[in-house]
Amino acid sequence: MSALLEIRGLTIDIERDTGPARVVDGIDLAVEEGESLGIVGESGCGKSLTMLSLVGLLPNRIRATGGSARFAGQDLLALPQEALRKLRGSQIGFIFQDPMTSLNPVMRVGEQIAEALIHQSGMAKPAAMERAAELLELVGIPSPRDRLMAYPHELSGGMRQRVMIAIGLAGSPRLLIADEPTTALDVTIQAQIVDLVRDLKDRFGMSVVWITHDLALIAGLADRIAVLYAGTVVEDAPVEVIFDRPTHPYTRGLLASLPTLTDRPMTRLPSIGGTPPEPGRRPPGCPFAPRCTLAEAACDAAVPKLAAVPGSDPRHRVACFVTAGEGGRA
Amino acid sequence: MTAGPIITPGDDRPGSLWRDAWRRLRRNRLAVAGLVILALLVLVAAFGPWLTPYDFLSQNLDARNLPPSMAHPFGTDDLGRDVLSRVIYGARTAFLVAVLVTAVALLIGVVLGAIAGFYGGAFDKGLMWVTDMTMSVPQLLLVVVINASLKQPITLWMEARYLETLNPIYRNSAIIDFVLVFGSMALISWPPYARLVRAQVLSIRNRPYVTAARALGLTNRIILTRYVLPNAAGPLIVAVSAGLGTAMVLESAFSFLGIGVNPPTPSWGNMISDGLRVWTNYPHLLLAPAAVLAVVTVAFNFLGDGLNDALNPKGQK
Repeated sequence: MSALLEIRGLTIDIERDTGPARVVDGIDLAVEEGESLGIVGESGCGKSLTMLSLVGLLPNRIRATGGSARFAGQDLLALPQEALRKLRGSQIGFIFQDPMTSLNPVMRVGEQIAEALIHQSGMAKPAAMERAAELLELVGIPSPRDRLMAYPHELSGGMRQRVMIAIGLAGSPRLLIADEPTTALDVTIQAQIVDLVRDLKDRFGMSVVWITHDLALIAGLADRIAVLYAGTVVEDAPVEVIFDRPTHPYTRGLLASLPTLTDRPMTRLPSIGGTPPEPGRRPPGCPFAPRCTLAEAACDAAVPKLAAVPGSDPRHRVACFVTAGEGGRA
Repeated sequence: MTAGPIITPGDDRPGSLWRDAWRRLRRNRLAVAGLVILALLVLVAAFGPWLTPYDFLSQNLDARNLPPSMAHPFGTDDLGRDVLSRVIYGARTAFLVAVLVTAVALLIGVVLGAIAGFYGGAFDKGLMWVTDMTMSVPQLLLVVVINASLKQPITLWMEARYLETLNPIYRNSAIIDFVLVFGSMALISWPPYARLVRAQVLSIRNRPYVTAARALGLTNRIILTRYVLPNAAGPLIVAVSAGLGTAMVLESAFSFLGIGVNPPTPSWGNMISDGLRVWTNYPHLLLAPAAVLAVVTVAFNFLGDGLNDALNPKGQK
């Protein structure tokens, strides 16, 4: 397998009146062709910004300031806006978090799906509408031909998210980025959406990047998981390795805070004390050190680099001075 | 794979946002009354020449200042002209001015406001500067200045053109009036539209569905015209309905002051102005045009309020 997307040392800054504040601090990530990568981390750790920066969609006053992001051989960060625009939708598709607000309320869903086909691929309107109906059927919407004429407010949340997925797939992208697409949905619908995306990925051989803060949800979907903390990757490993031998103290904390069937009733779930550092106020050493129960003197002095874990899976990498040498003891 | 339920609005068949708005509007009695009055007036204005019992210009010096009667429902004026016919022709003037001025102002306002709000930058700053300046000068004063400074050059130019071509169209003073009145009114009317559109675009351009449209690789032009502007239409429609009423009142005000449409072209404003001088003796000459103007203004306000409620359903339930 070759890397479809390879991010190296990406840094993203917020321009503040007091000077730039770093939110993403040297992220290294790769997505193989046909692979699905789960990016896990708490709010504000830079998950979404990293993905938005790839296609030039960062909000005002937030800029990618360093590193590279090679997609299919070209550095996305160096591409001009117009080239990025052509890439969006056709090469890199997006599914957004909130299906309630991510559809244009005054446009019929059929038109919204056909939009990209008409304006990006130059397809004629009747053909595009025909394709839109196929896409709706593909994402499991019953009587798709009737639904083409529906407005977003006539559909339920789960249906709208299916429409969003259909829109994301319309340009047949090689990489589909799903930015917490199930957060706004009921648990039962969440599982349906995860199943749907997995089926579609296998069917089209796309790569998928699934951004979430829900480790349990991603377990059924991802081949590999990257754990982000305060704008850096702290652990990156195949999904079964993350669950079997979590190595970074933050990953262990996340997993420990998941409820399991064997938990005794009425016991409190463990939580990770403290809060992540504010952008621009990160500690000099390991960003997790102030919250880490295993922290040593070395952790406050230098930032640990992402490195292979000896004795574990060859793809297992972690950024920790203390636990990396343990060989991924569970 | 099972799919979620399809939610359809409670009554009627599943419809567009516009159909929902129309349903809400129909439930508002005042708005419907306003709509009916305006529809009647539009019909009267459109079919005026076939409806008027008399020619609005023909004088009958044997029948001057007659009170309302069966032959002359609104009476006659000091030149023996039928007041009803003149009010009907005044409606033509009022609607023509209101529609054209609003259309021109709206076009300028939407284009400039949308570009300023969407792209921002120096153009935005410059536009806000211009609108602030225009809106800070009293409207009446601005129109007087424009009329006073432009009327003579245009009249002279028209006269020269007439002597050159002998085309009688250049002798028609009504054209000068209209061009000057339209032009100066449009010039003072567009800044509020521009500001409204700009504010709408500013709030809409960061909505998730606009980001989603960007992520689809759509061009700025398509995003602006198909995603941003259609979602700004609601407040704009309300502003237009209020703006039409304002433009109508403005035209009457200018004609009343003698800087708008000049006699013999009938305008409610100059009829009110004429009637005011003799109202103690012949009150019908003041009452007829003033009452019609008042009713139309109120109708526009009712409709505007109704549209505001119908297009902003979040304010109610």
